[in-house]
Amino acid sequence: MYRFRFHGRGGQGIKTASRIFGTAAFLEGFNAQDFPMYGPERRGAPVAAYVRISREPIVSRGYINNPDVVIVGDETLLFDPIADPLRGFGGGVLFVNTPSTPRIELDGHVVTLDITGLALEYIGRTSAISAGVGAVASKIAGFTKSNTLDAVAMELEEIGVPGELIDKNLKLAEVSYDSVPSFDLESLPSIERSDFVDMGVVQVRLDDGYIGVATIANLGNTAIRKTGNWRILKPIIDMDKCTGCKICFAYCPDVSIYMGDDGKAHINYDYCKGCLICSSVCPFKAITMVREVKTL
Amino acid sequence: MLTGNAAAAWGARVSDIDYVAAYPITPQSEIVELLSKWVASGELKAKFVEYESEHSMIAGAGAASLAGARAFTATSSQGLAYGFENLFAVSGWRAPMVMVNVSRGLGMPMTLQVDNTDVFSARDTGWLQLHAETCQEILDFIILAYRWGEDERILLPVIVNMDGFFLSFTREPVYIPSQEEVADFLPPYEPPHGIAFSPEELAYAPTIILGHSYSYFRYQMHLAALKAKEVFYEIAREFGERFGRYYGPIEKYMLDDADIAIVSMNSFTSILKGAVKRLREEGYRVGVLKINMFRPFPNEEVADALSGVEGVAVFDLNLSTGAGGIIYPELLRSIYHMESRPRVVLDFVGGLGGKELTYGEIRFMVRKVVEAMRGEAEPTPYPYLLFTEEDVQRLAADMEIAGKKWGGF
Repeated sequence: MYRFRFHGRGGQGIKTASRIFGTAAFLEGFNAQDFPMYGPERRGAPVAAYVRISREPIVSRGYINNPDVVIVGDETLLFDPIADPLRGFGGGVLFVNTPSTPRIELDGHVVTLDITGLALEYIGRTSAISAGVGAVASKIAGFTKSNTLDAVAMELEEIGVPGELIDKNLKLAEVSYDSVPSFDLESLPSIERSDFVDMGVVQVRLDDGYIGVATIANLGNTAIRKTGNWRILKPIIDMDKCTGCKICFAYCPDVSIYMGDDGKAHINYDYCKGCLICSSVCPFKAITMVREVKTL
Repeated sequence: MLTGNAAAAWGARVSDIDYVAAYPITPQSEIVELLSKWVASGELKAKFVEYESEHSMIAGAGAASLAGARAFTATSSQGLAYGFENLFAVSGWRAPMVMVNVSRGLGMPMTLQVDNTDVFSARDTGWLQLHAETCQEILDFIILAYRWGEDERILLPVIVNMDGFFLSFTREPVYIPSQEEVADFLPPYEPPHGIAFSPEELAYAPTIILGHSYSYFRYQMHLAALKAKEVFYEIAREFGERFGRYYGPIEKYMLDDADIAIVSMNSFTSILKGAVKRLREEGYRVGVLKINMFRPFPNEEVADALSGVEGVAVFDLNLSTGAGGIIYPELLRSIYHMESRPRVVLDFVGGLGGKELTYGEIRFMVRKVVEAMRGEAEPTPYPYLLFTEEDVQRLAADMEIAGKKWGGF
């Protein structure tokens, strides 16, 4: 059995990417089982998906602790403590969607491709990376291009993507497929390890009621988590054009725009998620969006 | 490749249902979304009604069933609880509708993840219950459930349960039989008697009755539910002959030569089966007893399956607070009258809220049973909670974010 784990952010299409891979595996004659995991559906929140493929019937289910292949759809998640994509990784293949080279030391193969850049080029949207991510996983597993593209078309049709957009996604999938190497999964050292981890069992004791009820005592705790690293496109305000009309200030859904002493709008990049609303409502076209690349 | 939810929708579709009563709730909504799409496109000739609550939804589906329609609905956790009183109404009407429950914990604390306490809370409502481990079982159990509940010897509604996320959103290869194949197995719903089909004219109204009558009618439901096990064998055999997949009230996995049995229900059984192979490599002679049918409870089958076993670990993905797991006492009832019953039966509560079930926790269950068998540990009627060192660390991180002064364990 080979275990693939996908990581990404809500809205990026990581669940769809895992299903493209699962369907491609099925078309290749594997038994496949794919399983996405997320909490309340929220754009930008970390999402994981687990795909098991095997020539034998799959007698397992749920989370994958020791993946053979990890697919990271969003470079900013690589060192995120909640998503923790490197958890249990040992000696297999790590793929990261990034234009840069991740500075990490680990056993195994690291493969990168700027799928977000390709998605901008072929589809015109940064969020539409599922076809590319699915195709990359499929290539890493050594599946054929025709089964991969068939799986992309089937899964996008399933979620109601119109035909014209499917064609563009197929182009993205094909370019992504051709840009990464394939691996002999059987030769990966992680294959010898298994799902069977032992983290011990501890006894839970009775705490007093204040502790033992699910409440949050910490006021203002959202400040702990800077949500600005979700951003793929960064808004830049041209101060020569900004008149201080406050329209962007009013529209920003994350209260990340504030009015400065100079009377003009400024952006708090710690929390700006790059949603593009400010740019689209600015009557003076003073806000441009630029592709942001995080150094890893 | 179908999710559990899609398998449920397909199960209803090939069963040629006439009526869908719908109200959305995560993680069930995909079922009624698919059915609504097919009704709109004409692929499924059925009436689709979206209700204002699960309370009306269950009553409406039951009423449709009484009126001669093959009725379907689906819900989960909070929705099941909101419609709860009408579960008793529908079973008392002896209306053989089918409801899928996608199991999820009831808040508070709030979760979208699995805790079978929701469906087990419906165990005394008069509904029959089948619990699925795989997406294929969901589809097959729905077809079986209609044939089963509609049998004139039974006439009871059926809940088909699947675990949220672990089945509802998990895709697996599923064989979908054609509507024609299913129609041969599942004839149109035309019961010759029951409330709406009496040979005589009826002036039915809900009525308040005295104890002797109440006892009689309530016990009739119990006898029908008991009869249902026998009938299940008949129809499951025919289903197997037609479709090549054989089901029983229980399933035994590597149990024949086992000293120790792990008893389980629903989707986590797959995880336990995988672990059992590994445990055998470590020298534990262990197998899995999966219970597919929770109502009627297969007492004789459970006792028979455990007849050669010395120790039993019950895996309960549910919690009756103040007592323990819910499968545990059901199982004890089954085995109490055995001549040589298992010497040790321990209860383990795990996987609550979709918490990962690790191999270490499964090995812990088996080791505890072995310790008790050797007299190294006192047997206890109270459950062990399966909770790992890593869970403690993650909990500590949550406690810190929440600003709670928690000292750890």
